[in-house]
Amino acid sequence: METLESPPMPIEVFNVLSDVFSQAVTGELIGMSNFASLAETIDDPHEKMEAVEHANSERLHAEGFLHYAKKTKLRMNINVHGPYWGNVRKQFLSYAAQKDFIACLIIQEVMLESFAVSMYTDVGNALGGEAGELFLNIAEEEKEHLAHSSGFLRDALKKDPAAFISRFEELHINCMTILGEFTATTDLKGHCGVCNGECMKESLHHIGLDVSTMRGNALALYAQALDNIGIPGEKSIVWIAQLPA
Amino acid sequence: MDSAAASLDFAVIGHQDSWQNIERFVNSMRNAQQEKLSIEKIKASFSFIPPRDVFKVKVTSTSGAEINGVYIETFIDPDKLDASFARVNIGKVMQAAAWASKMSAGIVALGGFTSIVLEGNLDSFARYATKFTTGNTLTAAYIVKALEKAAQNRSIDIGKSKVLIIGATGDIGAACIQYLKSKAGKLLLCARNLQRLEKLAAALLQEQTTVQYAVSANELLPEADIIICVASSTGIQLTNCKKDVLICDAGYPKNLEDGIADSSVQLFHGGMGQVSGGYDFSPDYSKSIYHYASPYVIHGCILEAMILAFEKRVENYSSGKGNITVDKMEEIYSLGIKHGINPAPFYNANGLWQQ
Repeated sequence: METLESPPMPIEVFNVLSDVFSQAVTGELIGMSNFASLAETIDDPHEKMEAVEHANSERLHAEGFLHYAKKTKLRMNINVHGPYWGNVRKQFLSYAAQKDFIACLIIQEVMLESFAVSMYTDVGNALGGEAGELFLNIAEEEKEHLAHSSGFLRDALKKDPAAFISRFEELHINCMTILGEFTATTDLKGHCGVCNGECMKESLHHIGLDVSTMRGNALALYAQALDNIGIPGEKSIVWIAQLPA
Repeated sequence: MDSAAASLDFAVIGHQDSWQNIERFVNSMRNAQQEKLSIEKIKASFSFIPPRDVFKVKVTSTSGAEINGVYIETFIDPDKLDASFARVNIGKVMQAAAWASKMSAGIVALGGFTSIVLEGNLDSFARYATKFTTGNTLTAAYIVKALEKAAQNRSIDIGKSKVLIIGATGDIGAACIQYLKSKAGKLLLCARNLQRLEKLAAALLQEQTTVQYAVSANELLPEADIIICVASSTGIQLTNCKKDVLICDAGYPKNLEDGIADSSVQLFHGGMGQVSGGYDFSPDYSKSIYHYASPYVIHGCILEAMILAFEKRVENYSSGKGNITVDKMEEIYSLGIKHGINPAPFYNANGLWQQ
């Protein structure tokens, strides 16, 4: 049987794929670190082990992306200290330092995972093939993290709705504002420190994507996650409307 | 949403009919310190948002009774209301219906474009304990009652008038025909679907009603003394009307004025009502999405659900297509008056009519 080699990808596609994979690995490393920090906030041994397991799952995702990137010789730039990823991590650590388990859960498993699941799904559907399948499979696994938190947070909301919603709003302002700036059509806080050259948002069309649709889908999934927890619609819509764009 | 699960008397499912409204609506949710978002930026995200309740509504009857409800926004793109986007839009309406049911709303009005879902398929709503109404019965009642009053004020004899109904085969158009067929001098019928138009005209002719019909409004406009427009008025040009023609713009969106060259025509926005006892929104977005020439004006379809809630009549009052009877129009109209809910004063884009 004859084996056909894939034709080399156009430089524009190579560049944007390099940036997409760099963002994905950076995000997974942030997730891995967050889950590891989350484990510190938990007293229950089973929950603690589960957090470490989630951290390991994020590590495996990062390895999966890195493996594909190496195979296809993508130009990787991994940077967890850039203005967006670095600030998200700082926010998470500030709550982890206070052993605020609920806050950590909301930031990692609701906010970051909503965006990860949605954006991986969009990228996976657009890329197709092996790379697409990789993104879609990881999106499926991230969905479990999203679902994992919903039941727990629903119970927390029922105990004291006013206090929970007020706390959630504070986290939304502190963390989702960063993601809002990051996913705006132009980087509102400058270069992310991950893309190799200029911001990849302008080049997403080379792989059949656009930043507006990706941001819209991510916000929709975040809104659904808030609904699942039980945040009233009249609150969630204001929070979303107040995000930078 | 569980936190808001105390039962509601009513809910309204709706959509915005212009990006200008949406821009005001979204920016009214932002803090004073935040930069206002441009329409372009809002357009990029707005229609992605899943339906949800955005404000509470409290309505007061002149009897002193109060009812509580919510407004559920569908986040339908106002530029995508035509048939080619039907599947997406119907999906959004069904999501909004599920949301209303989850909030334990007693009765739900499907406002504006969203009513087409209930007109087309009542079975989709059968699974819910919540009841749904298109609100078309009261909308139609307000159109014809206001028209009669306007004609009387201007000494126009409806019995000698040719009344053109644009959108004649729709649910509201058909209801207006039922009401006017024995009162108008002649009915001029206009609709896009010729087959349905022919069937409607044949049925009216059998009842000895004088009718004429055409798929193009232009063929009928020069003859009309009175015009009721219940179709989407985008693109309708009223260029060759009679001088002093009386027009009721009850379409969605109400922008028939854009197509009128002659300033002598008398046009009012129809199908609207007014709550004498008043209503309150919380949070109060009334300035951004409800700005009318007179206070407490609101769409007839929404008022139908409010009236049913006041009357504790939890039922699918207006559903399906072509089921509205004159008796039901009279009934819901009278029930409204009982609670101080009346047809809105005459107004158009320029403000209240000068009496």
